[in-house]
Amino acid sequence: MKIASQDAGKSRRARRSETVILFSVAHQTFAISADSVQEVRSTDSLAGAANEIEQPLLAKVRHTIERAHRKYYVVNACSHFNLPVTRPTLVLILRQLRAAVLVDKIERMAEINAVHALPRAFIGDERRWYRGLAYVEDHVIPVIEPAGFLTREEFQALDRITRAGESQREMEGAVQA
Amino acid sequence: MTAAENTDRSSFVLLQVGEQRFALPSEIVAELAPPVRLHTFPHTSALVAGVIVRRGHIVPVYDVAPTLLGQESPVHRFYLIAQRAFGKASEASAIPLNGECELATAEIQPPREGRPSYVSGTLEIGEETVELLNFEALVTHQSSESGDASHAEAQS
Repeated sequence: MKIASQDAGKSRRARRSETVILFSVAHQTFAISADSVQEVRSTDSLAGAANEIEQPLLAKVRHTIERAHRKYYVVNACSHFNLPVTRPTLVLILRQLRAAVLVDKIERMAEINAVHALPRAFIGDERRWYRGLAYVEDHVIPVIEPAGFLTREEFQALDRITRAGESQREMEGAVQA
Repeated sequence: MTAAENTDRSSFVLLQVGEQRFALPSEIVAELAPPVRLHTFPHTSALVAGVIVRRGHIVPVYDVAPTLLGQESPVHRFYLIAQRAFGKASEASAIPLNGECELATAEIQPPREGRPSYVSGTLEIGEETVELLNFEALVTHQSSESGDASHAEAQS
């Protein structure tokens, strides 16, 4: 993981432990594997690089950002988790997905020894949102499933919408020229 | 007592939810636990209030008071830990209670007419009539009534 373009040293991990980033959204704490986060940036630093997309399909996605010639869909975590809307200050750019996530703050890094399966009582969207639950000191914290932020179908729909928007802008540009 | 009569006269755990007492079959009840910390996080599963940690295990907590009483739970003094069946497997599950439990033996009578499907019978305990709950039906009853995504805000 890289925090604000600074390389983080690789931490030595116990054989079965996992390094996670604890972040908060609307006063809720979540854990995400540090390995699944490529970069953490402030929203201010990305303000110029973000493009607004207008689409009625997914309220949680309002912007794209370009990083290393790759387009990332920016998911508002408040909206994703149905939490009260806050003012996010950080963007977690995910490593293997074309998604970035708006969050309120990073609390700290932590080592977890196990990810416990979500109890079967949970039958809703949370089964897609979380890999499971982890003990962090005296707290039980959900461990994020990065692929749960956007489904394959949602990526495809967003791709179609952004391509259509780009084509329209190109045509408008050609007409004006 | 005949074998048939014997199967109808079983032991039950009487639990206090709000001002009312209900019964659960004793064979699904594991223990009465102290009111440990409830951990909450966003989800969309109706009825599930969060999780507690009991004996090193993560146990989901079902808030059954709104279903049983039509109102939010009163102050929780205990958690009743019961086993919920999932096919051949089972999962420890907690119900917040505001009073102590009692073990009773009684004959199961049919439920009163018009009672919800989660009431599987009634028990005559002294002069009191206590409704016997079907835990699985109670949980699924609630889920089918309000299991939608809009529930998430209330659950976080």
